[in-house]
Amino acid sequence: MSVTAQARAAAGSNAVALEELRRFIEHEADLLDERRFDAWLDLYTEDAVYWVPAAPEQESWHDHVSLFYDDKATMRVRVQRLNHPRIHCQSPPSRCVRVISGTKLDEVTADGAWLVRSKFVMVEDRPGNPQRVFGGRYSHAVVQEAGRLRIRRKRVDLTNCDQSFPMLTQPF
Amino acid sequence: MAGYTSAELREMVQPDRVHRAIYTDPAIFEIEMEKIFPRVWLYVGHESLVPNPGDFYCTHLARQPVVLSRHKDDGICVLFNRCGHRGAKVLNAERGNAKVFTCMYHGWSFRPNGALAGVPMRQDFPEETLKDPRFGMARLPRVESYRGFVFASFNADAEPLPDYLAEARRGIDELVDRSPDGEVALSAGCHRYHYRGNWKLQLENLADMYHPAACHASTVGPDGRQFKRRAGAEGGDAAFFAANGEAIVAQTGVRGLNNRHSSEASLFDKEQSGGHWDDYRALMVARYGEERTADILKNRRHSMTFFPSSDILLAQTSVRVIRPVAVDFTEVEVWPVRLEGAPESISDDLVRFVNMTHAAASFIQSDDMEAFERCQEGLATQGTDWVLVARGLGAEIDEGNGVLFGPRSSEIGQRAQHEAWRDLMGA
Repeated sequence: MSVTAQARAAAGSNAVALEELRRFIEHEADLLDERRFDAWLDLYTEDAVYWVPAAPEQESWHDHVSLFYDDKATMRVRVQRLNHPRIHCQSPPSRCVRVISGTKLDEVTADGAWLVRSKFVMVEDRPGNPQRVFGGRYSHAVVQEAGRLRIRRKRVDLTNCDQSFPMLTQPF
Repeated sequence: MAGYTSAELREMVQPDRVHRAIYTDPAIFEIEMEKIFPRVWLYVGHESLVPNPGDFYCTHLARQPVVLSRHKDDGICVLFNRCGHRGAKVLNAERGNAKVFTCMYHGWSFRPNGALAGVPMRQDFPEETLKDPRFGMARLPRVESYRGFVFASFNADAEPLPDYLAEARRGIDELVDRSPDGEVALSAGCHRYHYRGNWKLQLENLADMYHPAACHASTVGPDGRQFKRRAGAEGGDAAFFAANGEAIVAQTGVRGLNNRHSSEASLFDKEQSGGHWDDYRALMVARYGEERTADILKNRRHSMTFFPSSDILLAQTSVRVIRPVAVDFTEVEVWPVRLEGAPESISDDLVRFVNMTHAAASFIQSDDMEAFERCQEGLATQGTDWVLVARGLGAEIDEGNGVLFGPRSSEIGQRAQHEAWRDLMGA
């Protein structure tokens, strides 16, 4: 990009920054929908955290269980497994579509991360299995790194986060 | 649906095989709900879920909603979650605290020990009827704790809990002893998952050291080691394949205990160490001494499974509960345990690693759930009626006190579970 989103934000052009950020998180959803897991992993910084709490308004991943709590190393294991030829719970694989709406730029933090909030619905189909629908809120902390946008933190608050789940294999 | 005689039910369990109908026939599931679950001791919850008088925790036993509560004088109680008046479920939150438990329908209220506390417009009821304890919230006839783990039975004549747990009580001892204070807390919530399959598929899996090489193939990295399953600089992961190509986990032994419980030996080869794990060890030595600490932290057991529906995961410092819902639908909870007196960061690690092994989204559990669902589908076929549990038959080593050790991922654990099933269903 000729003028970075960060520079635009600094200049007060939040509307422009928001448009770039919205496209970026929609791009992330596309990569997951298309099962391009390596490219998806590459969107995350080395110090990234991908978190799906298991309680509404959960404050900490230390003292309560989570559906996902992945640092980058754990994300790599997850992607390695999703790409593995003998991942039985993905034979046949899931087909998903993630629909994002209501994207808002919440704030720009002192360390230069944009906090982007959105709502989403994910439909998951796996042949021979019942269709599943998940919904909730995304919260992305996005930074500029080496000239491109990357995700430092993603939090997914599912509406049914504290309920019983069938096997979950797809990041939301 | 045809009924079954006790003799027919006994025949369904043979020394090396069981009949597929025990997983698929709804009539047998209904008999299990009469002849197994209400007859034995069932794990309800841990005392740390209800630390103060008036605290309650709602769960299910044998498909029935029940309440674990604490009363200021009577202590721990287990009540049927049902109003004594017209039958509505009284408590609708999973946990909470209340002086009295009030029914939403007509406003009857009950003390945490189930006694009737208040009836709106009481004078219009026959007073004698209201004095009958059956019109309070009825209590399960038997409730006993073992080191904070609360078990209950619907059966007033059940043997004492220590006799039922027998040698399997060591699983609780070995978990609780890992706390420098000798106390654990189930304060981190639980993982909940469900699958479209029979409850015994999960139970048998808890004694299954044979499946990981095939079932969990996708969790073994290019370096031949499985992903790190436990915290600590050392002792967190294990080599997966031996030089001869066998899965190391499948070389591990299993025990059948007292013809009902089961236990898997540990698959880890090193004590957890490094960083705060060394601080934790120092606290343990201060409390228990070096020799005892080394014994407590020894990689002795992977799990201890109590027939019919609960499990101590020693490797994951967690408690698992199986909840049968229908013949082909089961819910499961996995509760990581915090070790009282250990550095907070140790318990944080334990909570975190259980996310990776036992959440619905975890690397391990998702493949097991796939296996359970495929078993349920496959067992509907009529080509053969038998399910084999013959691995290691005849190679068991009698360790005394009702404990049989089966080397090399023996199916001794499943056989012990099926013996308990046969004795209860065939009675």
